[in-house]
Amino acid sequence: MSLINVRNVEKHYRLEKTDAPALVDVSLEIQAGERVCLMGPSGSGKSTLLNLIGCIDAPSAGNVIVDGEDTGSLGDARLSDFRNRRMGFIFQSFNLIPVLSVFENIEYPLLLQRVPARERRARVEELLRMVGLEEYGRRSPENLSGGQRQRVSIARALVARPRLVIADEPTASLDHATGSSIMRLMVEMNESEGATLVFSTHDPAVSRYAKRIVKMLDGRIVEDGNAA
Amino acid sequence: MKTIAMAWRNLLRQKRRTLITLSALIVGLCGVVVFQGYITSLMRSFRDRTIGAGIGHLQIARSSGYFEDGEFNPYAYAMRDAETLVADLARQPGVLAAFPSTGFTSIAGKGEKSVTLLVKAYPAERMFFAPVQGRVRAPTDRFGLGTLLSGASPSAGDKDRIVLGETAARILDARPGSVVTLMAVLPDGRLNGRDFTVDAIYRDPGRDKIFAFTDYDTAVDFTGIDGAAVVHVLARDIGVVPAIAAHLPPGLAVRTWHDLAAYYVQVNAMFSGFLGVIRAIILLVTLFIMANTMNRIVRERMREWGTLRAMGMKKQSILLLVVLEGFFQGIVGAALGILLGFGVSELLNVGGGVPFSSGGQRVVVKILLSGQSIWWNLIPAGLFAAAAAFLPGLRAVRLTPSECLRQI
Repeated sequence: MSLINVRNVEKHYRLEKTDAPALVDVSLEIQAGERVCLMGPSGSGKSTLLNLIGCIDAPSAGNVIVDGEDTGSLGDARLSDFRNRRMGFIFQSFNLIPVLSVFENIEYPLLLQRVPARERRARVEELLRMVGLEEYGRRSPENLSGGQRQRVSIARALVARPRLVIADEPTASLDHATGSSIMRLMVEMNESEGATLVFSTHDPAVSRYAKRIVKMLDGRIVEDGNAA
Repeated sequence: MKTIAMAWRNLLRQKRRTLITLSALIVGLCGVVVFQGYITSLMRSFRDRTIGAGIGHLQIARSSGYFEDGEFNPYAYAMRDAETLVADLARQPGVLAAFPSTGFTSIAGKGEKSVTLLVKAYPAERMFFAPVQGRVRAPTDRFGLGTLLSGASPSAGDKDRIVLGETAARILDARPGSVVTLMAVLPDGRLNGRDFTVDAIYRDPGRDKIFAFTDYDTAVDFTGIDGAAVVHVLARDIGVVPAIAAHLPPGLAVRTWHDLAAYYVQVNAMFSGFLGVIRAIILLVTLFIMANTMNRIVRERMREWGTLRAMGMKKQSILLLVVLEGFFQGIVGAALGILLGFGVSELLNVGGGVPFSSGGQRVVVKILLSGQSIWWNLIPAGLFAAAAAFLPGLRAVRLTPSECLRQI
């Protein structure tokens, strides 16, 4: 059984009096452990599709089934719990919580799961080591560089051992060298942690870190195949 | 726990904006604290003067009818066992003085002039008339009955002496040493007359035409009344009054100072209401200012709400986070306002107090600060501020996480 099954999904946004289609009859299956890149120009629908897969938005039509759960049938509270336990998010602008330290940012998903303090500490320290920030736990995110912030974001996404990690344009706010090191880290984590990684980009250099590339245009999937 | 810490840290994120938002609350509550301290001081002084001006902390009579018409018909309520009761009361802790009183209505005449008097009779050692100079307050174990204009207060053992009010003395053309003839109807209906020597003339605007004072033993001897009309208790403070009342023998009619000081109660209620209205206005203004600020904060942090919800935080936890931040804002603003109020009050007190005009005399009132100022301002401010954050909080959870994340 596939980890993600998107079936005939449509998504429309209401813009003043017109209905703007963002996704048109999209179907997609992703197996557990895959590393998939959604690629396409701005406005092609890749972020919208990621949002639906990540259960942070609902489709206008069709079904999104993640890890066997039809996400449309879950209420808000169960959906929050579902995201917390099975998904990790990496954002283009890092989206770290400024009032929490680096350690606390990474720890937060575990706090929501009420994981005991000792376990939380051990897991956060493990991830800080993995992303090379073991000396930065007490710092505020505001005192980190862009690359360091994205590393914290990766650690936060993986701390709860999710089955699925969603990264929306994870390198778009970084310079080329930092972006490459972040992608290498994400690949390493995908391999060591075994989480399925779905990310979006419009940069062909970033897409080469994927094993499978899904190309999108005008809200439709126009190509789906293994990376070269 | 982390939600509380996050709400607190969010409060400190933009200190200057927080301070500007809270300035109305800080300045307003500072004013309320100073005003409340001023009113409390005035009202406490008024209360003590009311208690000490012939009411006492407790009054005990044979039946409750005394408190309706006893002042004008004291013979009907004579307590034969008043001396035993006074002795029992004097032994109770917290009692400074317990003593009987009575009175009679009389026509006082001197030469061709006459005036109707309501003569109040207390033991001589429980009556005090303050000297004109120096605003001397009555000792706490005596009734302060006015200002002594001339003569001297009656002493224990003096017979057939009277203290006349300024207006009555002027009508009678009496002065200390003058003799006035008092005529009164006795309990058995007969008429009695006796010459009284004027010991002193007192002033108490509004009362000194009607009320005259004499020694209790003289009044009993003159009227032949068979016991005190009422027993007064002066206590160490108002806190001990319920305990004293609880130890009284059953079957007696008891009234506390609060039951008897109707004017004080009315004035106090008026000032409390006034203070409540001012506090409510300040809190309402704060509510609108804070609701506006919280709205802006919620809009600015949309991406944070989206991120937290993407991580699995539930809607109600986001709402709680926003409401808690509002609550903390209210508590911090109120605490600063109260502190400032205490500081301003101390400064005013160090500078001598706040002037106040009473009975044509200028007095200086010290601002009295109490713990009540803290709780009566802190808790409502916290609750109002939390309420102000509630609607913005709902806005934070109305959008989907992806809509929140799209906000710039």
